[in-house]
Amino acid sequence: MNWKIRRFGQAIFTVWAVMTLAFFLTRMMPGNPVDAFVARVGPELDNPQEAYELAEIYMNINPQDPIHVAYVDYMASMLQGDMGMSMSQNDSVAAIMAEAIPWTLFVMSWAIFIGFAVGISIGALMAYWEGSKFDVALTGYATIITSIPFYVLALVLLITFAYRLNWFPTSGRRPEGVEAGFNIPFILGIIHHAVLPVFSMFVASGVASLTMRGNSIRVLGEDYLRVARLRGLPDRTIAVQYIARNAILPMYTGLMIAIGSMFGGAVVLEEIFTYRGMGYYMIQAVRARDYPLMMGAFTVITIAVVIALLIADLTYGKIDPRAGNEDHDAF
Amino acid sequence: MTAFQSDATTRTNDDVIVELRDTSVEFGMDRGTSKVLNEVTTEVYRDEILGVIGESGSGKSMFASAMLDAVPEPGVTTGEVIYHPEEGDPISVTDLSKEELRQFRWEEVSMVFQGAMSSFNPVLPIKTHFVETLSAHDYDIRRGLTRAKELLSDLYLDPERMLNSYPHELSGGMKQRVLIALSLVLDPDLLVMDEPTAALDLLMQRSIVSLLEDIKEKHDLTIVFITHDLPLVADLADRLAVLYAFEFAELGPSERILEEPAHPYTRALLNATPNLSAPLEEMRPIAGESPDPVNIPEGCSYHPRCPLADEECETIDPGPYDAGPDHDVHCHHWEQSIEDLDIAFEETSDSGTTASAVEKASGDPLVSLSDVEVTFGSANDGWLDFGESETVTAVDGISLDIYDNDVVVLVGESGCGKTTLAKTAVGLQTPTGGTIEYRGRDIWEGASGSTLADKEIRRALQIVHQDPGASLNSHHRVRTILEQPLKRWHSDLDGNDRRERILGMLEYVGISPPQDYIDRYPHQLSGGEQQRIALIRSMLVNPDLILADEAVSALDVSLRVGMMDLMIELQDTFDTSFLFISHDLSNARYIAEKTGGRIGVMYLGELVEIGSAERIIHDPQHPYTKALRWATPELEVDQVAEESPMRSIDIPDPTNPPSGCRYHTRCPEAREVCATQTPEFVDLGDDVHAQKSACFRAYDDHEYWQSESITDEHADANVGTDTDTDSGVTSESD
Ligand code: SF4
Ligand code: SF4
Repeated sequence: MNWKIRRFGQAIFTVWAVMTLAFFLTRMMPGNPVDAFVARVGPELDNPQEAYELAEIYMNINPQDPIHVAYVDYMASMLQGDMGMSMSQNDSVAAIMAEAIPWTLFVMSWAIFIGFAVGISIGALMAYWEGSKFDVALTGYATIITSIPFYVLALVLLITFAYRLNWFPTSGRRPEGVEAGFNIPFILGIIHHAVLPVFSMFVASGVASLTMRGNSIRVLGEDYLRVARLRGLPDRTIAVQYIARNAILPMYTGLMIAIGSMFGGAVVLEEIFTYRGMGYYMIQAVRARDYPLMMGAFTVITIAVVIALLIADLTYGKIDPRAGNEDHDAF
Repeated sequence: MTAFQSDATTRTNDDVIVELRDTSVEFGMDRGTSKVLNEVTTEVYRDEILGVIGESGSGKSMFASAMLDAVPEPGVTTGEVIYHPEEGDPISVTDLSKEELRQFRWEEVSMVFQGAMSSFNPVLPIKTHFVETLSAHDYDIRRGLTRAKELLSDLYLDPERMLNSYPHELSGGMKQRVLIALSLVLDPDLLVMDEPTAALDLLMQRSIVSLLEDIKEKHDLTIVFITHDLPLVADLADRLAVLYAFEFAELGPSERILEEPAHPYTRALLNATPNLSAPLEEMRPIAGESPDPVNIPEGCSYHPRCPLADEECETIDPGPYDAGPDHDVHCHHWEQSIEDLDIAFEETSDSGTTASAVEKASGDPLVSLSDVEVTFGSANDGWLDFGESETVTAVDGISLDIYDNDVVVLVGESGCGKTTLAKTAVGLQTPTGGTIEYRGRDIWEGASGSTLADKEIRRALQIVHQDPGASLNSHHRVRTILEQPLKRWHSDLDGNDRRERILGMLEYVGISPPQDYIDRYPHQLSGGEQQRIALIRSMLVNPDLILADEAVSALDVSLRVGMMDLMIELQDTFDTSFLFISHDLSNARYIAEKTGGRIGVMYLGELVEIGSAERIIHDPQHPYTKALRWATPELEVDQVAEESPMRSIDIPDPTNPPSGCRYHTRCPEAREVCATQTPEFVDLGDDVHAQKSACFRAYDDHEYWQSESITDEHADANVGTDTDTDSGVTSESD
């Protein structure tokens, strides 16, 4: 029980540290964004004092306050979900994020799901036919695909299937001219737009299949498998409860870590496909020197990663009885 | 417990339950076909316990698997395996279809094998294993579970707790017993057990074996018990079969095999098996090694090692000769063997061990441990840590002096702290309390971290590991391995001197010709040879004290005595002291008695008794030592079958040791005072004042004698690991 509280404490600490970092980067850096903002906006206004108020609206930081007061204010508004106003998008950061996150989650979860599902199946087959031509060929495939950075694959896919073959749209996240809502053309359109980004993340399947192969081969040599066969258990039980479960289990944490790193991957991927998710807005923010949006996206991504890892840790004990209530680190 | 009296001569064919006819198992390998069971023909009788004895690589596991036609791929079983059910026609097991085989196994014949630790699916609770098995065979689940519970409590386990546990929550001994229950849940007629207790402590092995007899009676079982450990089955088995080089050497009623064995190998094996009662001079190793399955010698496969071998033996495979009722032997000269072989062994040159180390106990100690304590597990790892501390005190306040040219053997169950204590003594483990002095100097003085500051002390204290293969660097040749210590500690030697010295040592330990071995890699050596190299490596630095951690337990029975003799000889020649660790009292006795050393018995982090080998073996004072003594089987059929002298089979949880005397939860003599007060070491006043015991019973007048006995109670609730459902293992209490 106690280690759960501890994990939780660590997660909260990480989030707090990231927010604090964001604050100090915005406020304390030489030529910091707040001062720059005031310097830029101030002269255009009738009353230059208003620039400070605007700064507070946009960034939650009033440069005139003493640093500790500014910090407390900043944290307070962050906790309320107020991440300031975007300077380039003309909307609150929170609103932009709320709108973008579902799209990112949509693409990422499919990417991870398909990647792992394919990886696990291939890995299982490789283990089943260990040493055969099939195994050798697929091991080769997995090794190669693992070593390709996902953005290279993304570019190759984009050039081939979108520009050359015109099978998929080159950018965007939803069909144009179709009424948004729960109708078939719209849903198909969304899927159509998501295919390439999802398959760019296919590289994850390489790692997954190699891990699965190794795990399965290990499990196939276990004594409990031999005993299970002697006990005359049906093949299906053996395959599912004995082999698959024990082989997939150790990959669970890997999956959660993959989720964490995929948010990072989303930044590059969404830029390549001009897919308006969180990562896309983050790059836009960097381009436009839109600090509130940038920091907002950064904070949200961090929190997402921390939550994914926290879930991995807290649920691992449920899935693997051995991890149970011990002081266990899932990763 | 001795049920060997079944009259062998009255057997009829109806009594046969399994018959093997010319059964072979072969594996195709790069080097050729490997015959791991070579045309074995034999019968197993209904309701008997057949003990099958074989060293590693004798084909004993294949024999077990063949009975269920369960030889692992790509092995091929040929010949016939015929099962005779109680009613109905004989079944040819090798001809069964896949589905028939699936039903046959576990319903008619089931099997328990070595890897009990990993015989359960780690992600499923124990109960699921039972349910799955029952439903796979279309048995009634409710009735099956009732039976399972009954079996579990017959094995002194708490059925509810076992069924609701996950495998990792159980100790090795519990898992092994649960596995036995699982194997019997479908009520099979024949149970094949392949080294079922090999990975367990002696005490647990013995407890399980003594339960088997009752289980067998109660469930009308036939048991085939396969082991490398002859004494373990000596009093359990009705008949014994000895396997050598993938075929039977001899098969007969237990008392015949133990008292008048006819095959030269059986005779040699009996002589090589360390035990507690035989005179030391009669124990000797078997020269040579077991043959390679790819290359089994022509004729009698034992001829390269047999003292009676002649031309006939080298060419003609000895068929079974009749050596008495129901006693078959595969040797041409079995009569001569009976007549000559007992005395055929030359007189031993007793290696002069008279100067008892115990007597030297008066001088200054070489290494002196005082009040040493070792605790594992950190209390708290700092910041944001709300976790409570979980610590295990592996060694709890032990004082022990080791003298020059001394030998101390530490024995005890696994988890008793013997390895930790010994490692602390040679400076490989940092104590959390107390001091260790080497010739009066604190060895941890000025040390940083876990390495000793004083190089001289580091050299003086050495270790030989349990697993010789793992302790030798597999990428280095023997020469390099042995040169390292010489370069480090004898930098004055040049290359030629070093080589000479290494060759000399190799020759000395019987690795010859040494020139051939010096350029080999460890994997090109046999287990015994690796162990010797590891031993030389530590000897070359001229240490004062060597820790040998279970140094012989990995070796085959036939090689153990040889290895121990060698160690004793080296100890004498090099004037070093030895600290042995063993879980086996027979090995401990051999070493301690031959060197005049002491045996120290440990229980849950405490030293409970120490004394000369003779006293510990023949006059143990502490009830726990008596239990260990009980657990060490003898090479006799008609041992006085005593009940287990312990009240519970399982060892208490070391993270939460019992109060007072730690043994009080299992001790048959425990009284109320034992649960509250901790006994101190008492000198038992033998002639050399070397025997000490930590038990109240050693005092003539102590509160203990007036205290109420607590042995009738159920096992103490705070023990945590085992809640016996029955305290029937209680022995006589005075
Ligand atoms: S047959 Fe010959 S070699 Fe074999 S055991 Fe008998 S005497 Fe020895
Ligand atoms: S002190 Fe008591 S419990 Fe401990 S060993 Fe002696 S009699 Fe048994």
